[in-house]
This record gives sequence, structure tokens and C-alpha cells, in this order.
Amino acid sequence: MKINYRQLSILVFMSFVSLKLLALPSLLYVDSGNMSWLVALVLMIVDALYVFLILDLMKKCEEKNILEFMKKCLGPVLSRVFLAIYILKYALVIANISKGLEFFVVENFYNEFNWLVFILPLMALIGYMTYKGIRNIARVSEMINLAIVIGCLYIAFQSVGSADPTAYIPMFKDGVVPLFESGFKHLSWFGSASFMMLLFGKVDFKEEKKWTMIKYLIFAIVLVQIMYYVFYGIFDNISATHNFCISDISQFSSQESSINELSWLIVALWVVAQAVQLALYSYCMMQAIKFTFNIKNNTIPIIVVMVYVLIWSLVGENTIGLERLFFTPFASIITILAQYVIPLVLYIGFYMQNRRKKIFKSKNFIKNRIEIAPNVSVNKFKMLRGEK
Amino acid sequence: MLVDAVNTFNEIKTKLHDSSDLKSRQVQFFGTDITICYIAPITDNNLLNDCILFPMTSEQNKPKEDIANYLKHSVLSSIEVTEILDIDQAVTKLLNGQTVILVDKADKILSCDTEKITVRAVAEPPTSVVIKGPREGFTESIKYNLALIRKRARSDDLVVNMMEIGKLTKTQVAVVYFDSVADKSVVKQITKKLKAIKIDGVLDSHYLVSYLQKNPHSLFKQIGDTEKPDILVGKMLEGRVGIIVDGSPIVLTLPFILIEDLQNSDDYYSQPIRVTFVRILRFVGVVLAVLLPGIYIALEKYHYKILPTEFLVTIMNTTQGIPFSPFMEILFVVLLFEILYEANLRMPQYFGMAMSIVGALILGETAVNAGLVSPPAVMIVALSGITFYIIPSQAAQFSILRLLAIVVGACLGLYGVLLFCVFVLSYLSSFDSYKSAYLAPATPFIESDQEDFYMRKTISEMKKRPKSIANNHNNMIRRGENED
Amino acid sequence: MKKVKSLFTPKKLVIWIAIILLFFTLPTINKPAMSETQAIVTMLCLDKDEDKIKAVVTVLSPGQDKQAKYEVFSATGDTLASTVDSIALSIGKEMGFAQCEIMAIGEKLSEDNIMKTLDYMTRTKKVGTNAILTYFEGDIEEFAKSITTLAMEKSLKLEKIINFDKEYILAQDSNIESFYKGFFSDVSIGIMPKIELTGEQKSNAIEVSSSSGGSSSGGSSSSSGSASSGGSQEGSSGEKKYIVTNGSTVVFKHGKKYYELSPSEVQKVNLFTNSSDKGTLIVEGITDHVYDNAKVVVDILEKDSKIKVSFDGDTPVYSVDVNLIVFIDEVIQDEPTDKFLIRHQDFFTDALVEKLKEKVLSNLNEAVELCKSENMDIINLYKAFNRKQYKNFRAYLERVGIDNYLQGVRFDFNVEINNEY
Repeated sequence: MKINYRQLSILVFMSFVSLKLLALPSLLYVDSGNMSWLVALVLMIVDALYVFLILDLMKKCEEKNILEFMKKCLGPVLSRVFLAIYILKYALVIANISKGLEFFVVENFYNEFNWLVFILPLMALIGYMTYKGIRNIARVSEMINLAIVIGCLYIAFQSVGSADPTAYIPMFKDGVVPLFESGFKHLSWFGSASFMMLLFGKVDFKEEKKWTMIKYLIFAIVLVQIMYYVFYGIFDNISATHNFCISDISQFSSQESSINELSWLIVALWVVAQAVQLALYSYCMMQAIKFTFNIKNNTIPIIVVMVYVLIWSLVGENTIGLERLFFTPFASIITILAQYVIPLVLYIGFYMQNRRKKIFKSKNFIKNRIEIAPNVSVNKFKMLRGEK
Repeated sequence: MLVDAVNTFNEIKTKLHDSSDLKSRQVQFFGTDITICYIAPITDNNLLNDCILFPMTSEQNKPKEDIANYLKHSVLSSIEVTEILDIDQAVTKLLNGQTVILVDKADKILSCDTEKITVRAVAEPPTSVVIKGPREGFTESIKYNLALIRKRARSDDLVVNMMEIGKLTKTQVAVVYFDSVADKSVVKQITKKLKAIKIDGVLDSHYLVSYLQKNPHSLFKQIGDTEKPDILVGKMLEGRVGIIVDGSPIVLTLPFILIEDLQNSDDYYSQPIRVTFVRILRFVGVVLAVLLPGIYIALEKYHYKILPTEFLVTIMNTTQGIPFSPFMEILFVVLLFEILYEANLRMPQYFGMAMSIVGALILGETAVNAGLVSPPAVMIVALSGITFYIIPSQAAQFSILRLLAIVVGACLGLYGVLLFCVFVLSYLSSFDSYKSAYLAPATPFIESDQEDFYMRKTISEMKKRPKSIANNHNNMIRRGENED
Repeated sequence: MKKVKSLFTPKKLVIWIAIILLFFTLPTINKPAMSETQAIVTMLCLDKDEDKIKAVVTVLSPGQDKQAKYEVFSATGDTLASTVDSIALSIGKEMGFAQCEIMAIGEKLSEDNIMKTLDYMTRTKKVGTNAILTYFEGDIEEFAKSITTLAMEKSLKLEKIINFDKEYILAQDSNIESFYKGFFSDVSIGIMPKIELTGEQKSNAIEVSSSSGGSSSGGSSSSSGSASSGGSQEGSSGEKKYIVTNGSTVVFKHGKKYYELSPSEVQKVNLFTNSSDKGTLIVEGITDHVYDNAKVVVDILEKDSKIKVSFDGDTPVYSVDVNLIVFIDEVIQDEPTDKFLIRHQDFFTDALVEKLKEKVLSNLNEAVELCKSENMDIINLYKAFNRKQYKNFRAYLERVGIDNYLQGVRFDFNVEINNEY
């Protein structure tokens, strides 16, 4: 049940784009003002670089899964601890997406809303997709990917006329420090490549095309930047009051009618994208639980994840609690560990391991050469003399 | 073993439980008693007379060798004369329409092929009518069907694997494929599955479906079928395997992927640009057919703000005073439509016309006039109902999906419909059978197969066989020079 | 134990969830259409009635065939939220603002900071953020009924009229969103088109007889107990009323009505923006080889205003390059002569161009003078300097103070006029 390289690229693309276009732009604006796009750009580029680092590790991983690979490079205890950190990271992302989805749906579609009724089918869906595995999630992402991209571009180009290009100047009005602070504070919205860690051994690199991943990554970054340009251009000084980038932009289309029907379709598509993302991270969390606690079958971890989604949705009713969780250093540190530190440590661990192996091999080689070399040289000598 | 003509005949008779359609005729041939036996309804009398009785009774030269051998080599003028050594074999031959000749004191039994083939004329099948293109369709006879295939594929590459399935019916089943094109492991898998079938009788090819498909309980069709030899050969040329069952005009094809139903044999006989347009239309049609009523309910019940004001006015004006909730209203119209469809299908043809008038005009019109349903509801269900038949082979599945979408739309609104769509997509993308992904080439995305997906290139441009289905990957070039 | 386990396989879990879901959702199946439980508000008018807020809503209701039917309801209350609630209570339907395309603010309400009232609208998110915001003069209820009559009898929708006129006359987009943005900007300026309901006939006026104001029904009592505005449309039967949408625009400063721009003033201010790029120019007394003391009306087909801001030493310089592409619409001359028998483009003489340039320049200067004299920055000067010359402008502001910054700015104008051909 492996996914191909193109599907992996699409998963990366979706992961890069999906969380960035909901509440993040308005949250960033509060702290970094009209330079928010730069914060997002820099963090996304860092994430993109990590994609290649993790990809390199993935290709080198000959083991069946991340646990075995980690065990080989870092030993069993540390690898379990690291995987536990991933459980936390995915749990944070799941909480973020599910809560975001809830608000998104409430604000855009319904007047009366009982989230319990809405979380149950969502749970059933992501439970099913998680059960069916990563290939299923990747295939669904592949199906909806194009529609989502076209939708985002449509929304952006429809409203780009209303955007004020001067909204971005003056640059660095308050210096660079607030940007760093804001970047750190909102780090939990980034780290989009962290899901790849749990896909070790699940990607088939047979039909790898060199530029596929690069293409998708550049496109993801450009798409997010276009959307940010339109968002900050339209809402300017009141950007912080607009909760959802994608739906608020579309409502403010430059067209005459106040509500544009096609935009609704695209906003609806975004719900689908979020649901699939939720399934992806549920799958990763399930895998992480499985490896950390050494559980053989999938059922129990899936149930654990589902129960977590449910409890989170019911308990995390008030946003204040959520925001507190998301903007604490705790969440940012988890992200730093999961996205930036652990892959690096693993990379170093892997190379140390390899070097040791190489040295070991080369010692053997010297030994072998002593035995083989005389014959070789004699033969060569004979050949040179023209003897048979 | 020496044959005693009378006793052997009696034994056969006992084996066949004194069946009254077993007939016999005693003849004297140069002093030897010969019993000719056959089962009357399935034996061709003319053949029997011309190939067996007439040569035997008019033979002038006395045989110098053993009578049975003499009959086989010099007298019987049938193409196929076989020697049988035991009674069970003789009974099987009889049941296949052959005539068994029992020569007294001979060491073998002879049988001649005198099978009477009763078959309807080759006609255009009602399920796949084409505007331009061949109109021949399969019949119920496996022999004729194989002949139709052989006529189209005069190649030594065409393999026909015959087998018998059914303890009581002993139905002949043929597995056909092109040896150099089909994936060997798929052929092996299919043959193995067919051979393992334990069933008392196979009356139609669809009896085999549940044995061959991976998810027998699934709503979705996983095995292709066709009634036309040109389609079958076309599919075989792409690497599929055909399964022909005697007695059924419908031939099964494997592996099956969803887009097969979105493609039509007409597509390959008309202009590519038109085909591309029609295929996109079909995709849109599928979405409309399945989701339109569900989305309508969702909009009416939960999201009127998405509707443009003018349209909202129309809906409000037409739905005022309707006693039912939007869900009940749509459900009523959908059920009405399904009942009409079901009745129309089974009704004698001369009733059909009257039925549609009664259904469409009287029921629809009066229901609207009586204020039971609103015109938009009727229009939307009718539109969705008509759209089903853009892809008739999937209509049954779609009508169930539509019903589910209506329930979900009524319960959860647009959000529910969206989740429902993801669920269906996810469900379909988990189907992989016979090494082929169900939603290919959409997912997994296969670039080279896009030429015959939502668009179609010209025949000369489609140089390679589709990768979406399992076939022999060493032999992918189908048109133009082989580059190797 | 095995039996229990087999009940909770992943496949069966999905079925379990589906069953649980059915329990929750089946009751919703019989829910009626939303348009039956919600009043679909298409227009909301707000004004003051003594100390209270008065709200009048136009609600869409089922009519015959494809015709829309509107009903008018009103209520008063202490806050907008309670007023809207009291309308809802009286008609037994929740207020649905999703289709609300117009919000009209009355004369009396504008005397106070209107953001106090509009806050409800920006917060609930029930109204589309680009609903048109407009200022009206006249009786609030009569106004609402007149607009309804306009829509029902003449098939003229106010939002469509305003959207069309925007191209010609309004200085800026006017909706809740842009007003909100303007209010919270440093200069706190917001602009709204003005719609007037009068008894006398004016130019650009549409006649409506307020007596036929649809089947509007009575109002409701407010939560604070003030009297219901009651009464149906029968108030002033037979009296003719006129709705005037001539392009007058009202400027709000710090949320209060500050200045009313006449249509001609709006045209002048428009030269500074690219958003409204249509209009006409009239020049008189042209005499040359073609014209003889003629009056020429030209149609502006395209307008491109490039604004540059810079500092000349300590003086801020605001330069505007206006590039107009025009078309001669009408030539009025006492005696049309045979000089007119020339190609159309030859009418575009140097004298005409000079006159047009003079006209545009004077318009620009007058607009600037208006801004300076009224101390209102409706030409986005502050924003342009603050963004493009941030540091210099901050220093300048510190020197002159935020209230006097317009006075010290030097304006450079450059006008270019081209023929359509």
C-alpha cells in the first residue's frame, strides 16, 4: 500500500496550503502588521527546505517504517521519545484543523449549529479514511487537488482588483524583532512537512520525477502569497477582524452581487480539503501511537484518535482555551522539535551510523585486497607481456 | 470391452432416468446390429439423416475391417466422429447434442456431431445502441459469439480457454484474451477463480460476477460487461480478458475501471473534439444526477443565502403552501420517478408510451397543480433522473447514491453533502482489483492515459496501450512503429 | 468477549456511528425550508426617533409568479440588537440579513457617531460585508416604502442604481467594509452616497407614489417599550414623492456627518481616484477654425490618475498626473456652419484641448481648496504620504500637527487629454 512520488508531492502541497488560508493571516496581522506575508514566506521556505531533508532520509531508509529506521540511527529509547513528540505535534494540528473547520462551517454555512451532530459524520469519515490507509488519503487528495487550486486562484483573481497594493508599505515600520516574535508565536501553524516523518517506507520512488516536488512546493508558496496579497490588500488596517482568509476574500469579490454563487462552491471545496487534511494527520497520529506503544493492529489507535477528535471538539468549545494552547511556547516548542530538530538529529544520526559502517567496510576491504591483489597484478603483468 | 448394443443402450437409458426424449433407431449393417441413439430436441434431424443414416443404409461395399472402424473411416460423413470408451462419456456426448452409435460387439462407441444450434439472429443489442459503428451484438450461443470474435480478431494471438461450470447445467464458459497483450497473472487469477466455482448451474454470465469481484457486497460495479463484439475486442486489445458464458449474450470483461462506463463505443467512431465535449458533459452529468436534489434540499433548508435573490424569490413563490417539508417533497418526487421507471421497464412495449404520458403529464402536472409538490422539485428530480441515462450502465448505482445524498443533504446540509462526496471518493479509491486501480487514470494519476480520459486524442495519436489497467507492460505500443 | 470485540471492528464502527447519527439527524428531516422560518431582509434602514434607534426592514415574502413581494416592518429600541430582536419577535421569524443588499442611514442618526450603531452589523457577520451603505434624507418609513415601490412597480432596484452610478459619480466604493476601514484609518473619513426622498421634483429624480408601497404591514413594539411605529402604507395617500440619486455624497468624519458634497464637487474629487472613471466635462466659449463660441460636452471614456508623493525639502509635494481619453458627445453652437463638415476627429482642436485642460486643472484646484477649507482628506493624501514617505511624513506631522497637515502640502497637477481616435 505505497503511494507514489506525485501523490506525496500533492500531500505536501495540501499540507502547505490548507492551514495557511484560514485564520492564520488575521492572527499574523495582529502581531506583524503589514509584514505578515514575510513571516509566512520565510517559515514556508524553511519548511520547504525540510521537505527535501526528510525526502533524502526517506529515500535512504531501507527499513519498513520510521520506528525501525530511528531505532537503527538513534537507539530504541530515544526513537520512542521522539515518536511521542510527534503524537503531540499531530494532536495539536488535529485540534487546530478540527476547530478551524468548525468555525469555518459555522460562520459560512449555518445559523443554528450543533457541533456534535457535525463532528460525528466527520469522525466516521476520517476514521474510515485512516483505516483505509495513506494510499486512500493520497488518492482523495490527488482527486481534489486541482479543483482546490483552481478555486483558490479564481477567488484570488476575482478579488485582486479590490486589493490595494500600497497596503504593504512602509515595510519594516516597527523593525524586525516583532516579526521574529510573531513567527515564534505562530509556529504551530507551520511545520507542514512534519507529517512526512510517519510516511517512511510508504513512498514508492520508482517513478520519481526530479522537478515534481519542487514544482508543487513553489506553487504552494506562490499560491499562499497571492492569497495573502489579496487578503491584506483588501482588508488593510482591519485585516485582524477577518477570521477566514478564503471565505472573506470571496465575499468581498469585486463583482456587483453581494454573494457570488461560484465562490460558495469554492469555499465548500475548502471544507473538503480540511477534512482530508484531518484524515492525513489522524493517520499520522495513529501510526505514531502504534509505534510508540508497540501496538500491532490499527483498530485501537484509530479509536484513540477518534475519541481524541471527539473530546477535543466537545471540550474545546471556547476559543480562548484553544488560543491559549496554540500561542503558548509549548505548542511552538513541540513544532520546533517535530519539524526542525528531530529530522536534523535523525539525519546526523544516520550519517554517523553510515560513517561507522563505511569505516568498518573499508577495513575489511584492505584485508581482502591483500589476498586478491597479488593475483590481479600477476595477471596484468602477464597480459602486458602478451602471454595468455 | 465389447459392446452389446441393446444392453448398452439400456444402460444409457437408465443413466438418463428413462428420459422420454432419448430416441433410438436400430439398423442392420451387413449383419451387425447397430443402435443409433440421440436426444431428439437438441439433435439436428437433417444432419442425422445426411451424415449417419443415409450413408449407412446406402453403403454397398462390404467392410473388410472391423465394423466400427469402417463406419468411422469410410461411411459416416460427419466432420467430427469420436471414439468413446465408457458410458459416462457417451451420456455427456448425448447431452451435448451428439449422436451415439452403438455397434454390436465392437470395442468402442462412436459419436457424431449432430448438435442442433437454435439461435436468434444477430441483432443490435438494446443496451448499447450506436449511431455510427457496427450493429452486431452477441447472441445466446457461445459458438456464435466466439465466431463473432474470431471474425474480428483473425490472429493466432487470440486465446480461447474453454471450461465447464455448473454441476447440473455443465455450462460452457470461455475465457478469451490476446496472449501478447493480456497480463498473464490476471488471466491465471481469473481462470483459477472460475475453476474453483462450485455451483449447480450457471444460467447467465452475471452468475459468475460475485465469484470474480473483490468486494461482492459493494454497490459499485466491478466487472465490465458488453453485448457487442467490437467493444469486447476493443477492450481485449487494451489488455482485458473476456468471459463468455453459453446462454448469455452478455460477455464479462476484466479488469474493470470506472471510466470504462464514461467511455462509449461511439466515442471511437466520432470526432475527437466532439468526444471531449461529450465526456466532460458526462462528468458533469454524473455530478448533477447524484448531487443535484441533495444540494437543492440543503440550500432550501439551510443555506438560502447562497441562492441569488431572484432565484430565491422564484423558489419562495412556488413553494408557498406546499404541505410537506422540502425533504418529503423531494422524496415523494424521487419515489414517483423510480416507480414510473420500474413500471415502464417491465411493461409491454405498447404500454410504454401510455405510461410515460400518464407518469409525466398527469402525475407531475396534477401534483404541482394540487399543491403537493413544487415545480422546482419536479424539475430538479427530473433533470437528475434524465442525467442518469447519460451513463445507463451506472444508473442503478447512481439512483441509490442520489437517495443517500438527499438524506444527507436534508440532515446535515451542504456540509453533509460534501462529506458524503469525500466518503464516496475515498470508498472508490480503495477499490483495487486485478492489479488495476478503480479510479485510474484520475488517481493514481497516469499522465499517458489522459489522452483517453476526459478528452480523446485521435486514434493515430493514442500510440500506447493504457497503463490504467493491468496488461503486458512489455508490449505497450499499439499503433505506429515500435521504437525499440 | 470475542463477540463484543467483533461488534467494534472498524467497519462496524462506521455503521455504529451512522446509526447514532441517524438518531440525531432524523428529527431535522421534517424541518421546513429556511425561507419559512427566517425573514429575508433585503434592506435595513436606520434612524433616530427621539433618543431611540429606529429600524425599518424590508422583508421578502412569497408573491405571485416570478414577482417579488416586499413587506415593511419597523421597531424602535435602545440598541440596534434589541430593535432587530423586537421586529423578529413581532413577526415570529428570525431576521436573516444574508440577502440584505442595502443599509440606509438616516439624517438624525448621522448627527451622532454612526459606528456605535453599525458595530452590530460588523460583528454579527450576518450581513454581507459588501452590502451598500447609503445615507438618506426623509422619513425613514416612507423611504423604505418608496424603495419597495420602486422595486415592485418600476422594477428598479436601488442597489443596481447605486452600483451603476458608482462608475460615474461616487468618489469611492461605499459599503460597510470600506466605511469600517475608513473609520479606523488615521484620518477617520468615510464616504456614503446620498439618497433623498422629497416632495418636490428635482433633476435626477424618480417619481414614486408612496401610497402604493406594497402590502407593508404594521410595525412592532420595541423591547424598551416605546410605541410601535405601527400603521401600514395608508398614511399619505395620493401624495407624490421623488427619490433623488443625483450623485451627492456625504462625508463622515469620526463617524459623524461632516460635509455634503454636491454632484459637481464629487466630479472634481473623482479626478484624484481611478475607481470612478467615467463622467462628462463641459467647456464653453470655444472659438477657432472650427467652432464659433461653441459649448462642447465631452464624455470621459477612460481616466488614469497617477499620484506621486515626494518631499521638496520640508514641503510635501502631492503631484497628480491625470490622463483622460475623451469623446466629443455634443457640440452646441448658435449657428452650426459648414465648418462642421469635417471628419469627426478633426473636431478635437487645440483650442478645445486647451479649454478642457483648463477645466480639469480648475476642477483639481477647486477640489484641493475644498479639502483644505473643510479640512477633510477625501483624496487619500494622508494614506499616500504615510505609506510612501513614512519617515518624512511623520516628521512633517510632528511639525504641523495632524489637524493641519493639508495646509502645508504643495500640489502639482499635470493634465493630458487625448482624443478617442
